[in-house]
Amino acid sequence: MELNQHCLRNLAEWITLEAVLPVVHLTLEDCLSSSESGLVFSAMPSESMIVCENLTKRFGQFTAVDHVSFSVAKGSIFGFLGPNGSGKSTVIRMLCGLLEPSDGRATISGHDVARETDRIKSLIGYMSQKFSLYDELTVHENLMFYGRLYGLSGAGLLQRRDELVALAHLEPYLHRRAGLLSGGWRQRLAMVCALVHKPSVLFLDEPTAGIDPVARRELWDLLFEFSSMGMTLFVTTHYMDEAERCSHVGYIYMSKLVVCGEPDDLKQLPVVNPAGTKRLDVTCDHVTVGLQAVRRLPGVRTATVFGQSMHLLVEESISEQFIRERLDGVGIHQTDIRPIAPSLEDVFVALTNRNNGDGK
Amino acid sequence: MKLLFRGFNAILYKEFLVVLRDPLTLFFMFFPPLIEMIAFGYALDNDVKHMAMVVLNEDRTMESRQLIDRFVNTQTFRVAGEVQSVEELAAAIRRGKAYVGLQIPPNFTRDLHAGRNAQVQVLIDGSSSTIAASALNTALGVSFRESVFRLLGETGRRELPVEVRPQILYNPAMRSPNFFVPGVIGVVLQIATTFATAMSLVRERERGTLEQLLVSPLSRWGLMLGKLVPYLCIGIVMATSLIAIMNWLFHVPIAGSLTALFAAIVVYIFCLLSLGLLVSTRAQNQIQALQMSMVFIMPSVFFSGFIFPRETMPWIFYAIGSLLPTTYFIELARAVILRGASLADFWHHLVILAGMGMALFALCALRFRKKIG
Repeated sequence: MELNQHCLRNLAEWITLEAVLPVVHLTLEDCLSSSESGLVFSAMPSESMIVCENLTKRFGQFTAVDHVSFSVAKGSIFGFLGPNGSGKSTVIRMLCGLLEPSDGRATISGHDVARETDRIKSLIGYMSQKFSLYDELTVHENLMFYGRLYGLSGAGLLQRRDELVALAHLEPYLHRRAGLLSGGWRQRLAMVCALVHKPSVLFLDEPTAGIDPVARRELWDLLFEFSSMGMTLFVTTHYMDEAERCSHVGYIYMSKLVVCGEPDDLKQLPVVNPAGTKRLDVTCDHVTVGLQAVRRLPGVRTATVFGQSMHLLVEESISEQFIRERLDGVGIHQTDIRPIAPSLEDVFVALTNRNNGDGK
Repeated sequence: MKLLFRGFNAILYKEFLVVLRDPLTLFFMFFPPLIEMIAFGYALDNDVKHMAMVVLNEDRTMESRQLIDRFVNTQTFRVAGEVQSVEELAAAIRRGKAYVGLQIPPNFTRDLHAGRNAQVQVLIDGSSSTIAASALNTALGVSFRESVFRLLGETGRRELPVEVRPQILYNPAMRSPNFFVPGVIGVVLQIATTFATAMSLVRERERGTLEQLLVSPLSRWGLMLGKLVPYLCIGIVMATSLIAIMNWLFHVPIAGSLTALFAAIVVYIFCLLSLGLLVSTRAQNQIQALQMSMVFIMPSVFFSGFIFPRETMPWIFYAIGSLLPTTYFIELARAVILRGASLADFWHHLVILAGMGMALFALCALRFRKKIG
């Protein structure tokens, strides 16, 4: 419940009220129904694990995080998106008690992150953006170090090490130095090191940056496994396909939270689907040539290349036949056109453009 | 107590592994101090021996040659060449061919035998004051001895009317290494250990591992002590090898007890490591850490009494020296090694060092903020 209220407040702030009001109800109802239908992983979806209220961080004149409010339900996978330098890491660092908020407050499981820092530490695991393990130490030694850091010792420490090694399938690399592991395995090790004390919330700051697609998928499989154990995950990422996997996403742009909600709800937002328009996928030869031709057409609002096809946002009045004829005119004869739903990327592009337009 | 130093055992475990895993760092911790020690030990030698002397002997008699031999027999001078004119004599000194020029005029022997004042001229290059002072003293000593023995011969007395019998305690041969090498140990230890801890926390900051430590329940006292102890062990090993070099290579005997010496060493290294940690709580990167450590190291070389006696310094430098751990360590080391002093004689120096170490350690733990930015 709380999650949705925060989302609504943000929506209301950022999208003109008239346009949003009908959607607000729709989003709220959808959220409720989806959580009942099992989209939200926890048994008690309305229980908030993380709550931010007007969380703000200023570095001198620069406001890195500007009155950000949202909440994350227990057991959910919250994807936190935004361009570089938009304030993602700053929010995470405040939630982990590493940075003092300039204004506003945040709680984890009801504990204030700024005042009850020591209490927070046993609740959270944190995997920072940089690879933060000791290259000189082996996998085993890194795990032993983090275990001791969290007060484990003796048989308990060894048992926990075995559990974590099994969880991340690190057995073959147990005595390899962390510095010699490949990107994917390093991230796995970093992840289980952050789990040594069985935290209820795991913060992951761009866990998949710079690792190959297969390792990326395996890492996400691991995340789903954690989530199924009831852990709340807070993940920042640049990848839209990863965002689609999250149960909830928030999008931060220029220090402000632009939108927050379930991916499917966000795709229904009016700003993403302006009245009187439709989205088309056009698959053809020579896409780049076709793109130039299509962009000049009246009634085409946006056109973007996606591999062998382009995604168009066009006015309702434009017929598929009209586009096909134009492409024929520039020598593209094999054309396949079909209507598509907006992707999360479309959502964020639309919101970013809108906010840039507002700023001018 | 356990809570205060929470995480200490983890940091200790990790730090030992990291240090021992990195042979290059270990090598650069050990190697330069040993080289510095050997270089300093040989270079800092005030014992002037066999300095080059050019001779202008215009007299050319047996007596004049005897006088030259007297100069050479002091071991302070050696004849580097003979010249034929006063100009050549001056030129040899100017060109740096010799430090000293000895001119014996043509009428030297004649005046001597006639009972007149026989004069000899000694030119000394004053550009190096230590060498000049030594040359001057020796030259005056030669002339004084010559005069006294001639007078004794004339009067028929066999003994000097007054004789001072000096006895030099603790360093009877007045060897320079005995004075300098204990100081070198102090300075060299400071350079190696301060850098080591100054770098260690900064490196974690640069790599991003510090953030990971800060989200853990690790206490700052635990972190600091865990960082310090491995380097304390390394420092003690280093000090032991430096003392071995002092004893066997420079033949400086240890008059006092080894226990007293090692007590001083442990307290001193603790002090230096805390200083390094203090630097690393402040520095944002390794370059800054290096520069900040230098700020502490330079005064230690000049104001600690390592080379220049503190007693003759202007009060301001004397005061700076009083703030430096190295000052107290060097005094302690000289007292124990040279004078055989026991800790009972010098306990207050040890107490000051221990107090400094404790204060620095507490300061860096309290200064260290468990936040970033």
